[in-house]
Amino acid sequence: MLGKGGKRKFDEHEDGLEGKVVSPTDGPSKVSYTLQRQTIFNISLMKLYNHRPLTEPSLQKTVLINNMLRRIQEELKQEGSLRPMFVAASQPADPLSDNFREAQPAFSHLASPALLPPDLVSTMPLESCLTPASLLEDDTFCTSPAVQHDGPTKPPPPALQPVKDSFSSALDEIEELCPAPTSAEAVAAESAAGDAKGQPGESNIIHKPEGLPESRTAESKLMEPLPGNFEITASTGFLTDLTLDDILFADIDTSMYDFDPCTSATGAASKMAPVSADELLKTLAPYSSQPVTPNQPFKMDLTELDHIMEVLVGS
Amino acid sequence: AADIISTVEFNHSGELLATGDKGGRVVIFQQEQENKTQSHSRGEYNVYSTFQSHEPEFDYLKSLEIEEKINKIRWLPQKNAAQFLLSTNDKTIKLWKISERDKRPEGYNLKEEDGRYRDPTTVTTLRVPVFRPMDLMVEASPRRIFANAHTYHINSISINSDYETYLSADDLRINLWHLEITDRNIVDIKPANMEELTEVITAAEFHPNSCSTFVYSSSKGTIRLCDMRASALCDRHSKLFEEPEDPSNRSFFSEIISSISDVKFSHSGRYMMTRDYLSVKIWDLNMENRPVETYQVHEYLRSKLCSLYENDCIFDKFECCWNGSDRQVEFLSLCTSNLSNIVMTGSYNNFFRMFDRNTKRDITLEASRENNKPRTVLKPRKVCASGKRKKDEISVDSLDFNKKILHTAWHPKENIIAVATTNNLYIFQDKMN
Repeated sequence: MLGKGGKRKFDEHEDGLEGKVVSPTDGPSKVSYTLQRQTIFNISLMKLYNHRPLTEPSLQKTVLINNMLRRIQEELKQEGSLRPMFVAASQPADPLSDNFREAQPAFSHLASPALLPPDLVSTMPLESCLTPASLLEDDTFCTSPAVQHDGPTKPPPPALQPVKDSFSSALDEIEELCPAPTSAEAVAAESAAGDAKGQPGESNIIHKPEGLPESRTAESKLMEPLPGNFEITASTGFLTDLTLDDILFADIDTSMYDFDPCTSATGAASKMAPVSADELLKTLAPYSSQPVTPNQPFKMDLTELDHIMEVLVGS
Repeated sequence: AADIISTVEFNHSGELLATGDKGGRVVIFQQEQENKTQSHSRGEYNVYSTFQSHEPEFDYLKSLEIEEKINKIRWLPQKNAAQFLLSTNDKTIKLWKISERDKRPEGYNLKEEDGRYRDPTTVTTLRVPVFRPMDLMVEASPRRIFANAHTYHINSISINSDYETYLSADDLRINLWHLEITDRNIVDIKPANMEELTEVITAAEFHPNSCSTFVYSSSKGTIRLCDMRASALCDRHSKLFEEPEDPSNRSFFSEIISSISDVKFSHSGRYMMTRDYLSVKIWDLNMENRPVETYQVHEYLRSKLCSLYENDCIFDKFECCWNGSDRQVEFLSLCTSNLSNIVMTGSYNNFFRMFDRNTKRDITLEASRENNKPRTVLKPRKVCASGKRKKDEISVDSLDFNKKILHTAWHPKENIIAVATTNNLYIFQDKMN
């Protein structure tokens, strides 16, 4: 469970993330470099996709933020990526679970399935029923070529704190703009979040504020924040070279979401067996071994499903 | 607030100082004529005229508001009794005529003084109407409206040295206008596929002497010099000014802080000055591969870039300006012979900075009522970057990033400067002996 980290202090944050960027190849500094990169990545996403001004946003600012995201993505690509998981997020149109269904019309948007896979496990030592993600990574069935990430190992849990905090504080802002989550999410939120600061990312993200588009393709979603001012037609996105996976899952730390399937309402209870196959299909989507392309219906072998269940249950 | 100042500009004589604000208003100040007997102070600036230049509009096609905020004001050189200036918001440029009326005709034969018509049968004698003095009235009227020529947001206007044409620049295009007639496009960097867009135009200016030459800066820290004689569409530059990146200072934010927010030619036209987030650079037009001088405005912010990115301050667009052209500048008690030798630019916490190119000395001053009594000499400020803070120093962490000075202007002939904080305009002059 993620710690009940307090809001990061200005100075601490500065020490941890500011200053010269160290080369990604430095051993011990690599962690802080990737942390820094992840924070900036998240902030950039927030900036692009989280506000709907009444006037046209500045093209210069948008271009600079997009360049930042592209650079980070390039770097991640170059570092070679085997990081699994989060594949299913490429199906924005498919509800991942019934819990989020009511949010779909408002948020069937790129971020919704992407950031909210309810079954992602935290890298933190979780409740006993789950295998830490670090183990899952090594399993071949978890790989997906489409997903980028920032390196073969996850940063140690305590180091995640600043990242979560900066993201959480950004999420808190969204929270202020959002209506209260539904009861289902609230249950998930309460049980999953140990953080006193607020609800985990998913609840906030689900109920994103006004201005979010209806369900569409992932690519066209990417251009949503830039309506009109780029003269882009609906079919092309400003960042179509970045797929949904690339952008959102390159570095996403599941630890942020603190979602504990053992106690969530999505049905991934501590005992997997009673859950229906359909539900499991949806909730275990990330662990598909097939490379998933955006908007393709999710398919998975039931045998693989069994295998996954075994691993998750720890048997 | 509607009265956030968004641009400041002296006219060519320095007698008038125009400010534009976020509410679309233009306020013009006029310098009092110097009182010869009071040699210890120059004329003060008082409000001369106020008018609403731009109104908010709504773009129905995109469902977005078009801000009425005045981005730039540029004065035309005075040709007759009236004054002319160009003011622009994001989309529309207007030519305003500001004229004085201090006389009015009286003694009409067919009209009473209040305008009512007289019964012609009561007219028994004829007289010639005469002009009689009246209270000064300053009127502003729009003479031209240059609209629908910019898809993106206008960031610069610059009047050509031929005084007949001017350019306007938005993020992707530069247009050339004839003050009388129409416009044509002279620079277009819009890519065929907008997904490939990685660079935008940030500022543009005509050369002060060569009427076919202009420069434009970009968000990647480059400046391109173009010659309109080369081709109708200046999509190939004549010169490209760019400094190679310093590898020891490389960070995630290198590109953003290299984005140039302002470019200004020196009076001679031999040099140009650019402002990026942390520094001011002087370029020799004959040397493209690096600036000849670099001045650090607030280097202590380099370690704060992540936070400044988060709170958007890193996108603040600071302007810069040269000292006035006609006088030798005796700044910091030093005699100088170079005409363009002092550069001024703003920073945070209501600080602004001046750099003397000859002596390499610099000074930080503050524009604030609390800390400066009128008619007292401004006290230099110092920011303590790290370590022990000395008395009177301000630590970086206590800087107020909401108090930013983006716009400054220098009187063209005298050592008078105008400094705009968020809501206030400060006018400083050098100490007279």
